Amino acid sequence: MFFRIVSDSFARKPRRKALTAAALALGMAVATATLEVALDVGDRLAREFRSLGANLLVTPATDTLPLEIGGVDYRPVDAGAYLPEGELGKLKTIFWRNNIVGFAPFLDVPVEIASPSARGNQVGGAGAHDTAREMLIGTWYSHSVDVPDGSKFVTGVSSTDPWWHVDGRWFSDGAEETLIGAGLAQRKNLRVGDTLTVRSGERAHALAITGIVSTGGREDNAILAPLKVAQDLAGHPNRYRRLLVSALTKPADAFSERDPSKMTPAEYDRWYCSPYIASISHQMQQELPGIEVRAIRQVAEGEGRILTRVGSLMWLVTFAALFAAALAVGATSATTVLERRSEIGLMKALGASRRTVSAFFIAEQLLLALVGGIAGYAIGLELARILGIGIFGMAPTVRWILFPIVLVLAGVVALLGSLMPLERASRVDPAPVLRGE
Amino acid sequence: MTPLVQVENLEKRFDAVRALHGVSFEVEAGEWIAIMGPSGSGKTTLINILGGLDHPTSGRVVVDGMEIGELSERELTRYRSDKIGFVFQQFHLVPYLTALENVMLAQYFHSITDEKEAAEALRRVGLEDRLEHLPAQLSGGEQQRVAIARALINHPKLILADEPTGNLDEENEATILKLLHELHSAGHTILVVTHSQAIGNLADRRVELEHGRLARITLPVR
Repeated sequence: MFFRIVSDSFARKPRRKALTAAALALGMAVATATLEVALDVGDRLAREFRSLGANLLVTPATDTLPLEIGGVDYRPVDAGAYLPEGELGKLKTIFWRNNIVGFAPFLDVPVEIASPSARGNQVGGAGAHDTAREMLIGTWYSHSVDVPDGSKFVTGVSSTDPWWHVDGRWFSDGAEETLIGAGLAQRKNLRVGDTLTVRSGERAHALAITGIVSTGGREDNAILAPLKVAQDLAGHPNRYRRLLVSALTKPADAFSERDPSKMTPAEYDRWYCSPYIASISHQMQQELPGIEVRAIRQVAEGEGRILTRVGSLMWLVTFAALFAAALAVGATSATTVLERRSEIGLMKALGASRRTVSAFFIAEQLLLALVGGIAGYAIGLELARILGIGIFGMAPTVRWILFPIVLVLAGVVALLGSLMPLERASRVDPAPVLRGE
Repeated sequence: MTPLVQVENLEKRFDAVRALHGVSFEVEAGEWIAIMGPSGSGKTTLINILGGLDHPTSGRVVVDGMEIGELSERELTRYRSDKIGFVFQQFHLVPYLTALENVMLAQYFHSITDEKEAAEALRRVGLEDRLEHLPAQLSGGEQQRVAIARALINHPKLILADEPTGNLDEENEATILKLLHELHSAGHTILVVTHSQAIGNLADRRVELEHGRLARITLPVR
């Protein structure tokens, strides 16, 4: 009988029901769209941020104190600790491996180059007069790394610092080629197409200059060469000293900063399974013993701030939409209760309890929430698609988990919105109502 | 034998207005009582208190052993569904429910619904061919007959009718009176608030109110 009454009543006044459902649908559409985008915006923005440079710096844990001037490490090549290049593939086996979007190892070697006294196609070799010490930075441009699971991962500066500007072309990782920093090129009058001989102790390489690089950093006054060349010059094959890692991370919060050794098992699991910089660093240290991982604070904090603000804005919009929907539902259900006072009075006179009267109205509101929620979810998905394409150039991933969440939200909004009218309905005094007062 | 209804020194105030004052009377089971009096004499207030829709300010009202003034809201709800059958002047049927569903509604609030029993109640009031009609598709007299079937469905101790023919034409009034007469003959206790001398004359006794006081209890002129 309950469902019979509710369904008969639900079919009445279709225009008003449609209005309430439309208010709910609109609220749910905005909520769906903002939640879809908000859940995606973190990943999307993090990816966009990753084009700005790496956010993690890996160094040997037992390194000597670096002697850095202007970002250049002036320690002798035999001082300090080195890390094995062969283990880098393990970075793609950690729990958050898919969040590691790129990494590039670096090895700095002070080298001697000979400045040409006159233009020639060989510099530092035959016909060179002047010798000077310059820094050669060995790294990968786009290198294929063997991952222990048998797959390959192509990474290097092309992934960690894609914004570096090169006039000419990048060196090939296996070739005897080099890029010259713009400042150094100007100072030494070096050009693309020249061959530069670099020397460290007894070892020397003749490198073809393929491009002039501008980074705004220390690379502008250095020689950039394939890592293999630097390792050979330094006499440390398959070793590197510094690794820049670009990882998609979640903004740090109080929980992320806690010491994992003092967490309960449940807290540790939650921390471990969240892509915080701290937990990703922790996982990297587990795979690559002997490393120290530091967040590049300026980048990480800036990202965190922007992500938090964007997230807050999205939540604010969602809340405002839900609040507006609740107000609209409240207004229509207040009118409904007013109109149905005599029906409520009659039910009470016939022996309906306050709870029973409320149950009829709640059931009707939940039915409306179901209709409004389904329609709102469908509209919201389309809205999210349009927003996603407009902002990020691609539609956000459809998250079906949002569907039940939106339905529950619609139910909560419908009930919260009609809380006061419901209370009024349950308090209707049957005697005056039945007299028509 | 204990009377079914005992009203002792009943008083009801609405703020400064005294609607009922010092009203006392008794009703035996199976009696048909007409409550009469001019407008504003307190007839509807009296029937509302007897029906558990209102609380007395002072005095005692006992129906079937239950003192109305002592009942909590929950107990009053139970009292209304168990002991009372209401018939209103404006019929008060739920507009989106069929005649059958309107009768079943009272069953639902009482205990469980029984479609066959509800159909039988409508047959008793001569509406066996109107079961699936909505109130708007029924005449005033038919709607009042649905209300009577609804009032009877839970076998109440007391049927309270407030101007049951007030909105009906003569022909329909006669049908309803015949129905009330049949109910009375079947042993039902009926209290009818009415202006109609015709109904007053059909009752066993007439309780007459004036300005909230019991003016007299008279026997009908047959």
